[in-house]
Amino acid sequence: MSRPRHNLRPHASTMGHWSRFCYFAGKAWANLIGNKLVTILTVFTITLALLIISLFLLFYVNLEGTVEQWSRKVVVTAYFDNELSPQELGALKNRIAALPGTESVKYIAKDEALKRFRSRLKGQEALLEGVAPDVLPASIEISLKKQFRSVDSVTGFVVGLKRIQGIGEVQYGEEWVRKFFTFFQFLRVLGILIGSFLILAVLFIVSNTIKLTILARKEELEILSLVGATPFFIKAPFLIEGMLQGAVGSLLAVILLVGGYYTFLAQAVNFLSFNPAESGLIFLPTEYIVALLLGGIMLGLIGSLASLKKFATT
Amino acid sequence: MIELHNVTVTYQKDAPALNGINLKIPKGDFVFLTGASGAGKSTLLRLIYAAVTPTRGHVVVDGQNVTRMTRHQIPFLRRNIGVVFQDFKLLQSRSVYDNVAITLEVLGWEKKDIGKKVYHILKQLGIEHKLDASPQRLSGGEQQRVALARALVNEPRILLADEPTGNLDDHNKDQILRIFKEANIRGTTVVIASHDKRVVHYSHNRIVHLDKGSIKEAHDVTPQA
Ligand SMILES: Nc1ncnc2c1ncn2[C@@H]1O[C@H](COP(=O)(O)OP(=O)(O)OP(=O)(O)O)[C@@H](O)[C@H]1O
Ligand SMILES: [Mg+2]
Repeated sequence: MSRPRHNLRPHASTMGHWSRFCYFAGKAWANLIGNKLVTILTVFTITLALLIISLFLLFYVNLEGTVEQWSRKVVVTAYFDNELSPQELGALKNRIAALPGTESVKYIAKDEALKRFRSRLKGQEALLEGVAPDVLPASIEISLKKQFRSVDSVTGFVVGLKRIQGIGEVQYGEEWVRKFFTFFQFLRVLGILIGSFLILAVLFIVSNTIKLTILARKEELEILSLVGATPFFIKAPFLIEGMLQGAVGSLLAVILLVGGYYTFLAQAVNFLSFNPAESGLIFLPTEYIVALLLGGIMLGLIGSLASLKKFATT
Repeated sequence: MIELHNVTVTYQKDAPALNGINLKIPKGDFVFLTGASGAGKSTLLRLIYAAVTPTRGHVVVDGQNVTRMTRHQIPFLRRNIGVVFQDFKLLQSRSVYDNVAITLEVLGWEKKDIGKKVYHILKQLGIEHKLDASPQRLSGGEQQRVALARALVNEPRILLADEPTGNLDDHNKDQILRIFKEANIRGTTVVIASHDKRVVHYSHNRIVHLDKGSIKEAHDVTPQA
């Protein structure tokens, strides 16, 4: 159908885009104020939902951080076939450093090896009395780049390492590495599963809460439709409302999270003589905070859209 | 202006509410729709503003097939049709002013123009002093006039009224009917569903009588005086 002819219409100026947006925003605001209880309920639902998600993220980020710390301990130790001259050693170190996956290379001389061994025998150093300083072999310790710290990569790296002339035995605690990575992989999958489940649950809850708002105004939607409002005109205020609620809800969640986190740290310092700097605890990086805020707005928008879908007017 | 071609409406699986209706209402006409309760008057009006889809047949309004309209076209049809609903459909949580203004807001009018126009129509209907009241604080007759104001405020080409005088005394009935008449004189096609004898015989207009979903008599008593 073509647009109606306006010749019979009383003459009036119509709104431009900006004043149209202001009109929708004003309507959304009036609705938010007019339905305080439902508004507060929705905002708190979003806050709670995002708080749960962000606590989960905080836990996950710290887990990743811990795992990253642990995985630094995956060190490959290589021994030599024969004694090496300093030049030969330098060349060998360079070749190892050139391998993909090498993060750093460290030479452990014989006396250094003995020193380490002695420190492990705390209190019983007497056992090593009279032992020749070169009783332990020299070695090279290689730490791996982050993306090479997995079972398959370590195995592959070792194969490459063994091809280098002059390298004898290689040790990397196979069993330990395998267990560690399997466990970590398991944690990661579990985290992703719980995370996606949380997001779905949150979407479901939020869209149902927003549905309450819409249900409360079913009559208004019907009348709007009967006096000739387009679907867009009917929906726009709800979408703006949803985004506003999402924004406020996520802001509250972030404030609570930051407040809660630092209060916890302060309390822990006081009562547990706990050193936050040494604990390795990390707060959510800024990107995550921004994502949470945007996520809240999206949550409100998607929640509104989803619940409006079921009220296909006309 | 309004044409119904062989229209049947069946709600759920009941007997049809309307059965094989053929009706033409020319532009500028003033028609009364009569019939007992349940005869199908409201259903016939709903067909015209596309709130009910015919089970068979089709409806043409202003040269356009309403039955085939998409949900994005229907709003533009409705902007040309003012409806006074049998149950008023006023928003109790809003003021009288807001209830009437909604028709113009939907059209995207500027606030100041809306204000003038709404005040003007409320004054015409004698309820401008209730501007800020909530409809639930009004008498039945006053609510009816608010509903009428909302239907008339954008000077629609078609005015449909479902039992618009139910709560009014004779004096108010005549006043309301005069307003319908004035709109009709300005070119609006008017269809009024009513079983009120006083209303139907208010002036010598065409009467379409429905009986159990069929048109029994459709007569022009005499053209308008
Ligand atoms: N939404 C609906 N769902 C099911 N049946 C309906 C619906 N609306 C109306 N009907 C049925 O259709 C028939 C016609 O109803 P309609 O409302 O058109 O009658 P009416 O002539 O307007 O009556 P009244 O004078 O009481 O307003 C009735 O039998 C009614 O029960
Ligand atoms: Mg009826």
